[in-house]
Amino acid sequence: MFFLSRQTVGRHRSLYAGSFVALAVGVFLLGLAATATAATIAYHGPASASISVTTLGGDGTAPQNVKVPLSDADVSGLQTVLSMVGTISGFITVFVIASTFAFAVASRRREYGLLRLIGATPRQIRRMVLGEAVAVALAASLTGAIAAQLATPLLLRKASYTELAPVKLEPASPWVPLAIAVGAGLLVAMLGARSAARRAGRVGPIDALREASLEPPRIGPVRVVFGLLFLAGAITMLTLIRPSSGEGAVPLAMFTPMVMVIALTLLAPLVVPLVGRVWAVPLVAWTQVSGRLARSNVLAAPRRSASLAAPILAISAIAGSMVLSLSFAADSAAATIRDAVRAPIVVTGAAPVDRAGVKAVDAGVPLQVVRVAADYAELEDAEGIDPVIASQTRDLTVRSGDLGELTGNTVAVSKEMAGFEGYRVGAEVPVVFPDRKPVKLRVVAIVKDAFGVNPSFLIPLELAREHAPQARTERSFVLPADGVAPADLVQRIPGAQLATDWEADQAEGLRKGNRLGLVMLLGPAALYSAIAIANTLLMGSLQRRHEFVTSRLLGATPAQLRRMVLWESSLVGAVALSLGAAITITVGVLVRHSMTSGVADVPITVPWGILLGIGGLCLTLAVGSALAPTAYLLRVVAGQNAIQQGQ
Amino acid sequence: MTATAPTYPYTAPAGPPALLLDSITKTYRSKAGAVDALRGVTYHFARGSFTAVMGPSGSGKSTLLQCAAGLDHPTTGTVVLNGVTLLGLNEVELTKLRRAEMGFVFQAYNLLPSLTVYDNVALPLRLTGRRPARNDVQRVLEQVGLEGKAKRRPAELSGGQQQRVAIARALITRPSVFFADEPTGALDSGTSRQILGLLREATDRVGQTVVMVTHDPVAAAYAERVLFLSDGLLAGHLDRATPAQIAAAMSDLER
Ligand SMILES: Nc1ncnc2c1ncn2[C@@H]1O[C@H](COP(=O)(O)OP(=O)(O)OP(=O)(O)O)[C@@H](O)[C@H]1O
Ligand SMILES: [Mg+2]
Repeated sequence: MFFLSRQTVGRHRSLYAGSFVALAVGVFLLGLAATATAATIAYHGPASASISVTTLGGDGTAPQNVKVPLSDADVSGLQTVLSMVGTISGFITVFVIASTFAFAVASRRREYGLLRLIGATPRQIRRMVLGEAVAVALAASLTGAIAAQLATPLLLRKASYTELAPVKLEPASPWVPLAIAVGAGLLVAMLGARSAARRAGRVGPIDALREASLEPPRIGPVRVVFGLLFLAGAITMLTLIRPSSGEGAVPLAMFTPMVMVIALTLLAPLVVPLVGRVWAVPLVAWTQVSGRLARSNVLAAPRRSASLAAPILAISAIAGSMVLSLSFAADSAAATIRDAVRAPIVVTGAAPVDRAGVKAVDAGVPLQVVRVAADYAELEDAEGIDPVIASQTRDLTVRSGDLGELTGNTVAVSKEMAGFEGYRVGAEVPVVFPDRKPVKLRVVAIVKDAFGVNPSFLIPLELAREHAPQARTERSFVLPADGVAPADLVQRIPGAQLATDWEADQAEGLRKGNRLGLVMLLGPAALYSAIAIANTLLMGSLQRRHEFVTSRLLGATPAQLRRMVLWESSLVGAVALSLGAAITITVGVLVRHSMTSGVADVPITVPWGILLGIGGLCLTLAVGSALAPTAYLLRVVAGQNAIQQGQ
Repeated sequence: MTATAPTYPYTAPAGPPALLLDSITKTYRSKAGAVDALRGVTYHFARGSFTAVMGPSGSGKSTLLQCAAGLDHPTTGTVVLNGVTLLGLNEVELTKLRRAEMGFVFQAYNLLPSLTVYDNVALPLRLTGRRPARNDVQRVLEQVGLEGKAKRRPAELSGGQQQRVAIARALITRPSVFFADEPTGALDSGTSRQILGLLREATDRVGQTVVMVTHDPVAAAYAERVLFLSDGLLAGHLDRATPAQIAAAMSDLER
């Protein structure tokens, strides 16, 4: 059957161009993430930039030597982002490929019927579809891999010396990562093509004789069952986004929409017509015949409409949820910072203690320590503080223990860290300081969380000075003397800011960081989805030449057909976007609830501009890529008519 | 209707039956309600016979053909092709039987647009896993008068040429039964004559059995027997009739 596959791929170029581009871009992104990750793994900074420690062992693990890079050589931030980019790209790829193949099969029922008629067995048809998928996937994966290899140096140059990777990264050997990307591409194509192939195998010879483009309206029970399973999974994940999940809420906000998108896509042939009917009400009321036609086209071919809606749904739900969640996360972080700072003045760097009008200066020394656990060792942020002053300038509410005992080899741990690691007052935390000295710190207190103000580990100031002599104060909290107005004092201290201004700056910094992360995470996925949206709609419209010819012969004007396509694609877009919006709102509300419990007066920042931008872009793309080929086809059709009349 | 016995089931003509229909009924069920397309058809198609099936639109001709060829399952009744009962076969066995024993020509959409004429004709052989011999393909192309067109694609051929490719494709496996549903429905009379001549030749020279549904009395006159179908039931037949006789019988039926 490979003979046939080769021939048909050539013929159905417009159908397969879509799958090809989608897969090539997917493999390109995966390949890029893989080569860049390889570069970070291959990176060995100078020995001075890392600390070697021996893990504790126990619990069935032997102690082992690990090297923990210090923050100025730490590339794990980039690795995390790359793995997330890989995940999102992989997800969208599976998704787009599955829907493009499903689409290709749906629009070729008659051809499969004919093959069955002249003696092809269902198995041969399945193999033919899979063969086509292999042919396309092979070409696309190799193209994507080569492009990724070419783009790697550029990406590494951009990523070097950034917050995520404060070092110079060099390309590593590309063979393994690219092989992984190509393999993943082929696998994804096979997975995506498998269900399409199975559906093609079910086409009967009689379908060659009937009006073949009308698909059977029912969807298979297996699909429904899986759809419901994923839906149940997504709902379970939604219930996990609650106050107790803490930092876990953000990853959940990223993955839950994906599961939800899978569920809705599986159930789309049921859901899309349902939502479509609602949106069609105003459409039919406001337009004349074109709206009605669009409505019946969308509702009569639920599977086709579902394929068109899928990529719009995917990107709007995922991007929307992340944008909204991160904005709410920044809101709650801003509120936390606001509540955690009690001093009215914040100074960048160290503040002069002896200045008139100053009552006390809380000049903590930030440092990093390597925390050694049973089977790993991790770099942790810590701060050396004077507990007496610090408990006046910031919120250091003690949950248990006594901050007064913070002297010598002791530590106060934030509540969240204590919860994760099971630390209690009296427990010992083995750490290695930047001067490479291992010390066992005794936990004397568990204090309230204050992200952005207090790190998870607070140690006595003298201990920090002793083991990290180079560490410098980065910001100090200043208490004015009694009767001195903070507004006046701020004028007299260089680098001083009112605490409220400082808090606003911190929040702004957070949002800026989020924006960078969003661009890195969603940029490729959005680009990819844009291609996918354009792709499915283009394919969809190009397949309709026959229909357009017939309609023109029946007397429909080009304008009427264009309007029909406009309404059709808008309807599909509206259905997908409303589902995407529903997911976004649900996730956003839950994330907000989970993050703001226990914090009063959290501001609400809804990034309307970005959200509406995503929606608008999706809709524009959908409508544009449906209209462009329609206009083209109508011109071709008009040309043919003219020729026929001339004869 | 001259020379027609109005009572059916009809007793078999001479020769062993190639295709046997036994009390076939077919009911289509849909949301709009049930349609009895066939209401009990029994008939033997003798080996090597050329039979035309005629009847008013909606009388069940296409349904009859589809059930006879095993493309659709009759609601009740059995179909026996060369001694094999279709009812008991699964999809794969049915497919294998179809590619070994049956050839098809329909009014339109007969060819794969992506393949050349040559590849379209050779396709049934490839599907059986055989490598088509170039000579065989050339021979059937010659037989249908398309020897120079092997490299063309269907879109580059006229409607009549496309039908001839479909016939060539059906000929290449030497099927014992040929099913044709309005094979000349979209062609002018000259081209129709060529196509019908090819079908006629298949029965006369090779002994293949042809069952052809048609609306055209001229086309039906190529058959040695014309069966009339009305409202899902056999309504009579004419043997070796002229187009005029067939047309007269048809207008009787439609009245
Ligand atoms: N798939 C189907 N579903 C429901 N009803 C059908 C289907 N196919 C045919 N019918 C109905 O069965 C009856 C017989 O149809 P059939 O196609 O066999 O007629 P025909 O004699 O071939 O007509 P024509 O000469 O117009 O081709 C008609 O009433 C038709 O509406
Ligand atoms: Mg018919």
